[in-house]
Amino acid sequence: MNPRDPKALLKVDKLTVSFGDNTVLDDVSFTLRRDEVLGIVGETGAGKSVLARALIDLLPEGGKIVSGDVALDGTSILSMNPKQKRELRGGQIALIGTNAKALLDPVEKVGTQVARVLRAHQGGSRGATWKAAVDLFAKVGIVDPERRAHAYPHELSGGMAQRVVIAMALIAHPQVVLADDATLGLDATIQVQVLDLLVRRCRELGLGAVIITHDLGVVANYCDRIAIMREGRIVELKPAGLFLKQPEEPYSGVLLDAARARPTPRGAADASAAKPKTLLQVDKLEKFFTVGGSNKVVRAVDGVSFSVGSGETLALVGESGSGKTTVGQCLVRLLDPGGGRVLFDGNDITTLPEREFRPIRRRIQMVFQEPYVALNPRWPVESLIGEPLALIPKTSGAARAKRVRELLDMVRLPARIADYYPHQLTAGEQKRVGIARALATSPDFVVFDEPTTALDIRVRAQIIDLVRDLQRDMGLSALFITHDLNSVRSLAHYVAVMRHGKIVEHGETETIFARPAEDYTKALLAAELPIEQSEAQRTRALDRHSVEPSLT
Amino acid sequence: MKSLRSLFTHIRRHPAAMVGVILLALQIVAIVFAPLLSTHSPTEADPISSLQPPSFEHWLGTDVSGMDIYSRIIYATRINLLISISAVALAFVLGVPIGLLIGYYRGFVSSLIMRLFDFIQSFPVFVLGMALVSVMGQEIWNVAIVLAVLFTPMFARLIRAEVLSLRERPFISAARCSGATDASIMFRHILPNALTPAIVQVSISIGMAILLTAGLSFIGAGVRMPTPEWGLMVSSGAQQMILGVWWVSLFPGLAIVISVLCFALLGDAAKELSDPTTRTRR
Repeated sequence: MNPRDPKALLKVDKLTVSFGDNTVLDDVSFTLRRDEVLGIVGETGAGKSVLARALIDLLPEGGKIVSGDVALDGTSILSMNPKQKRELRGGQIALIGTNAKALLDPVEKVGTQVARVLRAHQGGSRGATWKAAVDLFAKVGIVDPERRAHAYPHELSGGMAQRVVIAMALIAHPQVVLADDATLGLDATIQVQVLDLLVRRCRELGLGAVIITHDLGVVANYCDRIAIMREGRIVELKPAGLFLKQPEEPYSGVLLDAARARPTPRGAADASAAKPKTLLQVDKLEKFFTVGGSNKVVRAVDGVSFSVGSGETLALVGESGSGKTTVGQCLVRLLDPGGGRVLFDGNDITTLPEREFRPIRRRIQMVFQEPYVALNPRWPVESLIGEPLALIPKTSGAARAKRVRELLDMVRLPARIADYYPHQLTAGEQKRVGIARALATSPDFVVFDEPTTALDIRVRAQIIDLVRDLQRDMGLSALFITHDLNSVRSLAHYVAVMRHGKIVEHGETETIFARPAEDYTKALLAAELPIEQSEAQRTRALDRHSVEPSLT
Repeated sequence: MKSLRSLFTHIRRHPAAMVGVILLALQIVAIVFAPLLSTHSPTEADPISSLQPPSFEHWLGTDVSGMDIYSRIIYATRINLLISISAVALAFVLGVPIGLLIGYYRGFVSSLIMRLFDFIQSFPVFVLGMALVSVMGQEIWNVAIVLAVLFTPMFARLIRAEVLSLRERPFISAARCSGATDASIMFRHILPNALTPAIVQVSISIGMAILLTAGLSFIGAGVRMPTPEWGLMVSSGAQQMILGVWWVSLFPGLAIVISVLCFALLGDAAKELSDPTTRTRR
């Protein structure tokens, strides 16, 4: 890189940061130019967030910049005095963090909060800054900005709060925007809207932007250059197109491979001409909730019907709040359906009392969404995996221990894990323990609730491969609840798209992905950020109109 | 073994916890070796040497009936800790299962029990204590029972609050899916997770119990003379205070301070030790 690059805006030079004896950033160097979007990708613990904070010299407690320098427009940030640093943060370099709602002050109107940032950096009257904030709200895609500016953070949806935070970052006209996992936890359609908007605004204003994420799809679709971080180092830094075509580092190749969708599993249906036996049939399932205190009824599941044949996997996709998890919970009787019928292997299990449902439990199991909170923190893995074996009468202690070993082996965990407690495991290991638990009783049917959410790229790929193997080896039937379309492609024979408690489209996976019929399905698919077709679509942020799903 | 070792490391690193442990050790020594440590009989009156200031013969002086204050303080450790610890143990044994049940099964009976607890806790402690002790008689065990009645709602509420949040956690749903019965969910899943704050509360409650025992004795609703008890001793010296006889009340008062402080420090240490963020990672 040319050190006298006239367009160089932010220059990071051999930056090393440590926490105590622990080096978290190791000799990191890169340059960000004006009008450029740089993507930084890495797995948990790679040091991405520390890098973002080091760039504004605002490291978490205990962190220290050991050596190296960060320069903005040729001025070293580290040698600034506290007042200059305050002006820098938010004024010249703005950081957008994860979980926007937690970043906003809960007791103040969002308009006031944004206006205050402008006042702090450039002064101005309350009225003028408020007006500037409202104008900017409109530009970051907030519908009805004047009214929204008067809202408190808890009154906004996640996507809306994230836009407010983006407005807050842009209002003082910074030269560099750092987005640290800014769309984590948002629905895919909202994520695309937010990213489209952020990148478009940055391009219009000619800012430099750094998008930090663990999602290769995001960088592949939005960034000019891509940096791969691993263990505090930047292992590869290349223009995006070149990187996707021929990554140099083996690690980059592994990440790219892991992010690619596997081929759709061969349907049990097309393996033989005969239609497989129907294992689970759901008929006009309903579940309404009343909102506490009021008479308002939320129709979480509103007349949902589908069936799953033995050996088949159905994916239930939809955004948060579409009612897909509620369906799963009704199937394993964590919730009692309000109406409709659930037939399992010919038996009506809709309203069976727990005592009579118990023998069926061993045949229908569930893998829970968040691996850590779904495991009792005080139980060792051995007891956790062994617990469902109580459903099988007359299981001796020895048989139980043997089965636990088998299950650990089945989910590719070493036997020594049996003595560990959940907090000693990584997220991927916790997920595997959750899967092993569900498989303990050799069930015929498993409900997977968001099995791939919030996992690192490689771990996610490993879990997908594991589930694929289980489908193949055990002839498992499954309901796959997810909003991760990439994993649906790899795992499901059939797809049902849910919205507002109803199934809007239903069919074979390949058909739905190739020729979606409903607008909503098209919007969902358009929001996917695959790394495959990205080359042609990389300019999407500039020319595409945002899809319109649930905005509020 | 491992947890014991981590306990020792923790204590070494935290001076406050260290002080608590040392004070506890001193009290245990006083309880076990009271006959060896004392210089006089704790209950033998000697009218001739009434109200003597601290001297070589009577290290901390004597009270109005000529009993040796130092020896009485040493022996009183037994009485005070016996009352306090048994009261808290009883409250724990009663309060924890009640809290677990009313947290898990929410219904009419549960809210009735909660209202009963409100009723008990809304009484001024000393009024309730005086009433109960005067009905049952001024015996050591009655004082312990009074304190247990006062403390039971505290433990039950603490456990109930934990249970209410734990029962909504996903791992409880997961357990239900694995076929766990209500009893198993309550005792094997919820209870071990709910117990920590109650265990921390034990130590703090013992300190409170010592203070209350002394307070009840001070107002004449606790144990009776000549039983060596700190609160009673403070009370017996109170009248002479204005005559410049300070030692009769001061030294037992200090004993109360030390004992309460000890359990408060241990409670803080327990709280820190039970914080999940200090647990080890692999």
